[in-house]
Amino acid sequence: MDVDRKVIQRQQSTYRSMDEIFEIKNEKYRGQQYSQIYFTRLHHMRNLLYSLIPKWRPDLPVCTVLGLEEGKQCVLVGTIYKHMKLKPRILDEYSKERSVVPIVKPHNFMHPEDHLILEDESGRVKLSGNVLVPSVFVTGVILALLGKETTDSEFLVEDILEAGPPSQIERPVIGGEDKYVVFVSGLCVGSSTFNPLQFQLFVDHVTGYLGEVKEQCIESKIVRVVIAGNSIEIPKCVLTGQTVNSKDQSKLFEPIKELDISLTQLAVAMPVDIMPGTGDPANFSLPQQALNRCLFPGTSAYNTFFTCTNPHSFELDGVRFLGTSGQNIDDLEKYSDAKDKLEFMERTLRWSHLAPTTPNTLGCYPFTDRDPFFIENCPHIYFCGNQSEYSSRMLKGSEGQLVRLICIPRFCETGVAVVVNIGSLECHTLNFSTNLD
Amino acid sequence: MRRNPTKRRGAPAPSSNPSKRLQHKGTAETPAFAQQQHAGVAIEEDMMDEDVFLEETALKLEEDEEALLLMQNEALSARLSRWKRPSLSSSYLSSNENIIFQQLDIDHVIGETHKELIPGSSGPSAILRMFGVTKEGHSVCCHVHGFEPYFYISCPPGMGPDDISRFHQTLEGRMRETNRNSNVPRFVKRVEIVKKKSIMYYQPQPCHSFLKIVVSLPTMVAGCRGILERGIQLEGLGMKNFITYESNVLFALRFMIDCNIVGGNWIEISSGKYKKTTKNISHCQLEVDCLYSELISHNPEGEFSKMAPFRILSFDIECAGRKGHFPEPLHDPVIQISNLVTLQGEDHPFVRNVMTLKSCSPIIGVDVISFDNERDVLLAWRDFIREVDPDIIIGYNICKFDLPYLIERADTLKIAEFPLLGRIRISRVRVRDTTFSSRQYGIRESKEVTLEGRVQFDLLQVMQRDYKLSSYSLNSVSAHFLGEQKEDVHYSIITELQNGSPETRRRLAVYCLKDAYLPQRLLDKLMFVYNYVEMARVTGVPISFLLSRGQSIKVLSQLLRKAKQKNLVIPNVKGQGSGQDSFEGATVLEAKAGFYEKPIATLDFASLYPSIMMAYNLCYCTLVTPEDVRKMNLPSESVNKTPSGETFVKPDLQKGILPEILEELLTARKRAKADLKEAKDPFERAVLDGRQLALKISANSVYGFTGATVGQLPCLEISSSVTSYGRQMIEHTKKLVTERFTTLGGYEHNAEVVYGDTDSVMVQFGVQTVESAMNLGREAAEFISGTFTKPIKLEFEKVYYPYLLISKKRYAGLFWTNPNKYDKMDTKGIETVRRDNCLLVKNLVNECLHKILIDRDVPSAVQYVKDTISDLLMNRMDLSLLVITKGLTKTGDDYAVKTAHVELAERMKKRDASTAPNVGDRVPYVIIKAAKGAKAYEKSEDPIYVLENNIPIDPQYYLENQISKPLLRIFDPILKNASRELLHGSHTRSVSISTPSNSGIMKFAKKQLTCLGCKTVISGANRTLCSHCKGREAELYCKTITHVSELEILFGKLWTQCQECQGSLHQDVLCTSRDCPIFYRRKKAQKDMAEAKVQLDRWDF
Repeated sequence: MDVDRKVIQRQQSTYRSMDEIFEIKNEKYRGQQYSQIYFTRLHHMRNLLYSLIPKWRPDLPVCTVLGLEEGKQCVLVGTIYKHMKLKPRILDEYSKERSVVPIVKPHNFMHPEDHLILEDESGRVKLSGNVLVPSVFVTGVILALLGKETTDSEFLVEDILEAGPPSQIERPVIGGEDKYVVFVSGLCVGSSTFNPLQFQLFVDHVTGYLGEVKEQCIESKIVRVVIAGNSIEIPKCVLTGQTVNSKDQSKLFEPIKELDISLTQLAVAMPVDIMPGTGDPANFSLPQQALNRCLFPGTSAYNTFFTCTNPHSFELDGVRFLGTSGQNIDDLEKYSDAKDKLEFMERTLRWSHLAPTTPNTLGCYPFTDRDPFFIENCPHIYFCGNQSEYSSRMLKGSEGQLVRLICIPRFCETGVAVVVNIGSLECHTLNFSTNLD
Repeated sequence: MRRNPTKRRGAPAPSSNPSKRLQHKGTAETPAFAQQQHAGVAIEEDMMDEDVFLEETALKLEEDEEALLLMQNEALSARLSRWKRPSLSSSYLSSNENIIFQQLDIDHVIGETHKELIPGSSGPSAILRMFGVTKEGHSVCCHVHGFEPYFYISCPPGMGPDDISRFHQTLEGRMRETNRNSNVPRFVKRVEIVKKKSIMYYQPQPCHSFLKIVVSLPTMVAGCRGILERGIQLEGLGMKNFITYESNVLFALRFMIDCNIVGGNWIEISSGKYKKTTKNISHCQLEVDCLYSELISHNPEGEFSKMAPFRILSFDIECAGRKGHFPEPLHDPVIQISNLVTLQGEDHPFVRNVMTLKSCSPIIGVDVISFDNERDVLLAWRDFIREVDPDIIIGYNICKFDLPYLIERADTLKIAEFPLLGRIRISRVRVRDTTFSSRQYGIRESKEVTLEGRVQFDLLQVMQRDYKLSSYSLNSVSAHFLGEQKEDVHYSIITELQNGSPETRRRLAVYCLKDAYLPQRLLDKLMFVYNYVEMARVTGVPISFLLSRGQSIKVLSQLLRKAKQKNLVIPNVKGQGSGQDSFEGATVLEAKAGFYEKPIATLDFASLYPSIMMAYNLCYCTLVTPEDVRKMNLPSESVNKTPSGETFVKPDLQKGILPEILEELLTARKRAKADLKEAKDPFERAVLDGRQLALKISANSVYGFTGATVGQLPCLEISSSVTSYGRQMIEHTKKLVTERFTTLGGYEHNAEVVYGDTDSVMVQFGVQTVESAMNLGREAAEFISGTFTKPIKLEFEKVYYPYLLISKKRYAGLFWTNPNKYDKMDTKGIETVRRDNCLLVKNLVNECLHKILIDRDVPSAVQYVKDTISDLLMNRMDLSLLVITKGLTKTGDDYAVKTAHVELAERMKKRDASTAPNVGDRVPYVIIKAAKGAKAYEKSEDPIYVLENNIPIDPQYYLENQISKPLLRIFDPILKNASRELLHGSHTRSVSISTPSNSGIMKFAKKQLTCLGCKTVISGANRTLCSHCKGREAELYCKTITHVSELEILFGKLWTQCQECQGSLHQDVLCTSRDCPIFYRRKKAQKDMAEAKVQLDRWDF
């Protein structure tokens, strides 16, 4: 048999990490509170909104909450606070009596009586009217609102201005061969749903060990694999529990070793980015810091292995990527409502803010002088890991911004990885199944 | 202001009222059920009227003019007009309308007799004033004329109509002797012979002659009574002393009884029957004079069961205290007053404002009114009260703190025109100290501030009366009922905020407003308006009595009303005993302690004591004295001999009044409950629910009334008979159950009575399922009820399964009323709500009960206890769970015995006097590890100090003194060797104690890096792990990062919660509420987080 021995070269691309803003590094807990991040956020976003208001409503005065006058139309800029009846609170732990019926954790804490309040440094005002729908917004979003104070001392909203989507750097024209980035998330090595064979299929496929030449040619165009969170699952009780004998203990860290081996196979073949997620051995608050390299002694030897922050932002050949392991979108889903996950993603772009619910319902580091979640430039590819199913669409902004939105499903449940063409922004899935029927 | 129930115990007596013209009676208004605490003459009168002469409290005319000048401030006067009540329609103005109003307050003053209404009469007389609101919201002040004070004495035998006038003259003479200074033309107006009967003892004769003595002023009742009781020399009859009847009835109550008026009902005066007052002396829109006989009192039924739209003002003040002192009116200014006014029945206040000293930034939805000097703040508030004209004033601790403070402060500032807060135009507010002592509620010192025509409703007093809570601070009360924490700003910060900028004062104002809003929300949530108005209607007393007086006035009011119908009179019997006379109380069957895993059926007597009184016709007027038993020779079939040996006649000879009152109350309750089922309208439902509750409470308090030895009309024969019947019934039930439900009787098992309380019996029928236990319970209840005299009834209501019986009055169990699902977990006597227990105990006990009873998993409860103890010993316990709090009631020197919290307060004072707790504050502390042999009181420490300095707590103290007893109580019936298993097992062997960062020795210690894995000292290039631990990097890193991640979760939750409470995202949290469960956790999270971050950073090599 005559085999074509021609060597297939893997494509390369230039990579620039932009994770720096998400790194906490030497910041310390010095007793700072969360008011400062809100303050910074408001300050920053307000400047942005103020620059937009002259185009939007040139004729109207801009007010602060304190400066409102009854019946006078004006524009108000401030932070939204959503008053929610069902919002779980830590004080519930102390409520009168422990309820006998176990509380079923709802996935969504919305209630018809929820209402919005606008706050700035000077005060708060309750918002009313049909224009502003409470189910769409969440605490922490900054908006410009047009309206007037009513006799009940509420602010009747007549129109809304959102800050984004932000402007986009021009997308470079990528000539020649197509280049692909593969996204995968929710490997959950060590969990009961993890299927080693399925994952090995994925590794073998993208590294080119599977398929015929034609397929290998396509696989060779994969320039990078991004693992968007929840790669490992270690039973929580192990780490906090009191009595675990040492034999069991080392067993429990097997999944990390297992992942290290698989990652080595990947890193040998191409650059790999790994982001932390909720289940990973990483800190909890956003931005989650890069997984420590000591967890992956094998893979760390390769310079193609990148441990990244979550959120993760980078450029490949001038194409800008931004994404998270899913916490920001999952939190929006708990506290607001949309037709699908992509709509939540769109909203974060329109609000120019990656995670508005931080720190209110989503943990975050108490930054004092910056808000790293502010989206300064619109990415070309905006992804979100650990979703229940794959979905994707293009978002077109008012200034001609084009963004590929991607929900990456959990691999351990779906066997799906997502492939994006960085030139055309086209997107498709790879399905791996070990089911032989 | 911060309120603390123990606050201001030692405050100086109010010197507030400069006017000596006021009558200050130092009398302690001592409600009945009460034990007399003070000796002295004044005590002789349990209740007495106080005659306030109109002229005496009045300002002089010129003063009046000055005082009535409203604030010059234009902005304010514009507001004043907005606050006004709806204006009167023309038919009201022309007096063509019938005035129908709901009265809320009734008092009386002494004034000149109304010449037009009562022609041919002169001199001073008592004028009753009824204040109320019409359904349109107009305020009404109705002066009622012509009602005269009176009482009865029994007519001495042989005294005929001819002797009356001589008797009258003698009495008049004696009165004049004792009241030489009085210029009243006539003391005793009339003496009439009436046919009445005493309520005491069964008397076969229909009636006797009594003398009705009518006097001209209410206070003279007491004077006359004294003379007659001590004895009076009568011509032809010699020295006689008399028993007086109904001579201790307050004048206003007398009026209400005779006119059939009950508290909070609707009154109608037809047009033409009233006269408009010629010169208005009140601020009310409708002020009229009328004769008492013209009043139409409507029963609270149908249309007249509704509530008028009265105005409820909720307010709060802030004062700027000096450093280290609780504010005192002599020194510290009032800086803010926040006000909310709500119309009864509406959800939201229609006035929200705050008056501040010095400028204050605006607050959305709130009218901020700022002044440059304190005098203007106070006067603006006075004008506000006058214009907004609230009918009810509520707040938290207003009676003891806010109102007296304002008045004393105005006195200090010499603003004579300030205390015009009542509805009478020219009448100054009076303040006096009162002691409220009652067996039920204990002794409470309070102040009484009289605001004529306005009902004060202090939520703190209500809470203390109606609920048993571990703390009555506004914070913990709102946490308990509204499920929210209140931001608490320490009073030392208040002065700082006041001295800051308009922004910081705004911050304070927001806080102040919240303190005014919470009482209103509590009022709404707990339906106090409905419940208290209904209580007033049911018992017939004015609403203000309900809070200021004890239980017995309510029973007395009903008794007097009923007696009047029956032509009976009630003797004024002094409390006979010392309060120590007692009789055998209720029986408690012996508790067979254990953990019952078979259903336990509970048989309850429905309203046992009222039923007994009804069944056996127990009453004052059916009691036969032992002497009479011999004399009258009553047939045995028409009397009942009670188990305690008393004799009462049966209803066919004489129906008892108490049984009749009880019957009416219980029938009315049944009706109210039935109506409640039908009712749709939420307001109507609220009224009905309040009513049925009031009826139930009233029915149950009748028994207590007869047993209160120093009460109004004690009758131990009745109360001891009731309890003796009760005991008999419990024993009887036990006997029947164990005799009937046996295997011999054809049942599957022998029934066993495991426990019996005052009015219930717990039976284990031996069956396995809840359903069959319910069936047997029902059968038993029905069978046994049949053997009792009606209406005594044994009811089957619930099954406990499983049931943990610890000892008498202590048990826990799951409560089932239907066989499919349990309703709740019910505990008695176990839940350690005691203040001096730390939260850990409560949590531990609750969790264990939950696991044992609901999860039915004893091993997991045991494991939980072990884990908790291990956490405690390993120093992993949340500090807030260990905080013990005690009130500091006096300074260290005054305490005879050294106690932990007092010692700590002293030590804190040495550290920093400005933040140290003062008298009246609650002192939180934890017990720390101290040198061997240290006394317990030396081991207390401030939790914050402990957190900051890493001071080790003393786990042994918590183990031995806090958690061991409650735990053993629960587990003793369940486990063998509970103590050894729980408190001394292997889980107690590993102990970890934190190293204090401030101890002396640590100053000499050198810090060295240790391996994160094995704690060996490391040096050189290794910054994280020693060479032996190198291979375990991943594992050890995971541990560190998990710890960090958990702290981050906690940190986020805690700090965002505090932002939520304070209601602002952009401002730093200031709250220092030590009552808040997360206060210490929040502090600790912050500190732990910082430490964990440092540890984590060591991995970045």
